[in-house]
Amino acid sequence: MPGAALAIPPRAGGANGFSFGMAILGLALLVAIFGPSLAPHDPLTQELAARNAPPDALHWLGYDHLGRDVLARLVAGTRISLAVALCATLLAMLLGAGLGLAAEALGRWPSFLVFGAFDMVRALPSILLALTLMVALGIGIIPLIIALGVAYAPHMALVARAAWRRESATGYVAAARVMGAAPLATLWRHVLPNIAGALVTQAAIIMPRAITTESVLSFFGLGVSPETPSWGRMISGASRFAESAPHAVLAPVLALCVVTLGFALVGDRLRLALDPLRERGR
Amino acid sequence: MSFALQAGLGFLRQAMLLAGIAIAIFLLIRVIPGDVVDSMALEGSLDDDAIAALRAELGLDAGTLTQFRIWASRALVGDFGNSLRFDRPASELILAALPTTLGLAALALAAGLVLGIVMAAAAALWPGSAFPSLVEILNLWSIALPTFCVGLAAILVFSVWLGWLPVIGQWLSPVLILAVDIAGQVAKPLHEDLKEAATASHIRTARAKGLSPARIVLRHLLPNALTTVVALGGLILAGLIGGALTMEVLFGLPGLGTLAYQAISGRDYPVIQAVVLVFAAGVVMVNWATDAIQRSLDPRLRQ
Repeated sequence: MPGAALAIPPRAGGANGFSFGMAILGLALLVAIFGPSLAPHDPLTQELAARNAPPDALHWLGYDHLGRDVLARLVAGTRISLAVALCATLLAMLLGAGLGLAAEALGRWPSFLVFGAFDMVRALPSILLALTLMVALGIGIIPLIIALGVAYAPHMALVARAAWRRESATGYVAAARVMGAAPLATLWRHVLPNIAGALVTQAAIIMPRAITTESVLSFFGLGVSPETPSWGRMISGASRFAESAPHAVLAPVLALCVVTLGFALVGDRLRLALDPLRERGR
Repeated sequence: MSFALQAGLGFLRQAMLLAGIAIAIFLLIRVIPGDVVDSMALEGSLDDDAIAALRAELGLDAGTLTQFRIWASRALVGDFGNSLRFDRPASELILAALPTTLGLAALALAAGLVLGIVMAAAAALWPGSAFPSLVEILNLWSIALPTFCVGLAAILVFSVWLGWLPVIGQWLSPVLILAVDIAGQVAKPLHEDLKEAATASHIRTARAKGLSPARIVLRHLLPNALTTVVALGGLILAGLIGGALTMEVLFGLPGLGTLAYQAISGRDYPVIQAVVLVFAAGVVMVNWATDAIQRSLDPRLRQ
C-alpha cells in the first residue's frame, strides 16, 4: 500500500511534552556514555549465592537469575541498546534514503527497480524480516545492526522519495536542471539540505522501533549474544524467572518504555519544527 | 481504467512481490553455512558415503536452480517439506497453528477498530467532554508503549502478583493489549478527519436543516471518514502481526508466532521458511484488499 510507511504518529503532547522527552533522551544519553564507567558493579560478574536476590542498599536493583547486578547490566545495556539502534537507524538512512534518492534522481528505470526491491522488503513486517535475516546472519551485534537497518530502510526510502518529489516540483531544482547540473549533483548540493529535516524526523520515529525490535529479537533467542548486556537480553533472560525475581524483568521493561516515550515526544515536535510542509503525514 | 482492471493489475503486482519474496527467502536460507546433513553428521557418526547418499536422497546435491524449481513447485501446492524437528510436514504444523493466530488477530482487530471508531466519534460528537483527551491518551499510549513491554508488564501484574487465573489471561490480555494499540492508532487520525470533514458544506446544510449532531456524525461524517481507517490498514496490520507473534510467545498461545519461535530455536529451516512465506502471503493479500476496498469506497482514488 503506497504511503503506509509515511503514516507518522499524529502529534502527541505539547511544548512541555517536548522538554520532557528531551530530558529523558538526554538522561539516557548521559547514562549510555558515562554510566558504564561510573557503575559500582561489573555487568558480567556473577555472585551465584545471590541469584534472583531482591534490591538492597548496595545493589539498588537487585540481582538477576545468574547472580549479576541488574543496575550494572541496565546501565551497560543502555549503551548497547542505544548504540545498536543508532547504528541501525543510520544504516537504514544510508540504504533507504541513499539508494532511493540516487535511483529517483537517475530516472524512471533505476527508480522502478530500487523501489520494487523496497516494496518486496516492506511486504514483510519489520519484526519478521529482521527475524529472518538474523536466522541467516547468525547472532551478534553486527548482524543485528544489518538486520534492523535493512528492515527499516524502505520506511526511510519512502519518506525520502516523497520529500524528493515535493522538492523537484520547485523552481530551484528546475533552475539547476536548466543550468545543466548533473542529477546526482543537484540531489547532493541542493535537494539534500532541504529534505534533511524530513529524514531526521523519520530517524526519530525509527530509533525507538529499532530498540523495541532488538528486544523482541533477543526474546526470540536472536539479537546480540546471550551474555552481552542489552535490554532485550536482560528481558529474555529474566522473564523465565519473573515469579521469583520480578525486579530483574521490570527494570529493563521500564527503561524501554521510558525511552520509547521520550522518542515519541521529541519526534512529534521535530516533525512540526523541521517538516512544516507536511502538516499531516498520511 | 476500469475498477476491475485496476484491481487485476494490483493483484498481479502483489503476486510478483510474493514471488520475489519466495526467491529471496529461498536464497537466504541457502546462504547459511552448513545444511541439515552437516548438522546430522555432527550429531551422529556418518561416513562420507552415507553423507553423500543422504544429500542425494534429500535432493541437496542438485544445483541451486534445480533445487529452487523443485522447492517452488512443491510450495505452490502447499508442500513446504518436512519439519526437521518434528518429522511432520511443515504445512501440517502451520495449519495446526493458523487458527490461533487468525483468531487472536481477528479478535484484536475487531475490538481495536470498534474501540477506536467509537472513541473518535464520541470525541467529535462531544468536543467539550473528556473524549478528545481520551483519544490523545490512547494515541500516546500506542506510540509510546510497545505491545511487547505492555505484555510483559501484564504478566507481572496479573499473573505473578495478583495470581489471577492464567487461563483467562492467556486470551484476554493479548487481545486487550493489541486492541488498545490498534485503537490508539486509529482514533487520532479518524478524529482529525471527522473534525475536518465537519466544516464541509454538506454538513453545514445538514446542520441548517436541523439534524441532530448524533445523526450528522453517524450518517454523514463517519461513512466518509472510514476511508482513513482503511488507509491505515497496512500500518495496523504490520503492528498486529508483530504484536501477535510476540503475544503468542509471551502468553504461551500455540500459534504461528510460537511455531516460529520453536523453529528458530531448533534451527528448523523448512518451518521458518514456510512461516515467513505464509505471513508474507497474508500481508501481500491484505495490502491488495485494502487497496481495492479503498478504491471502491472512495471514487476519487479511481482516476
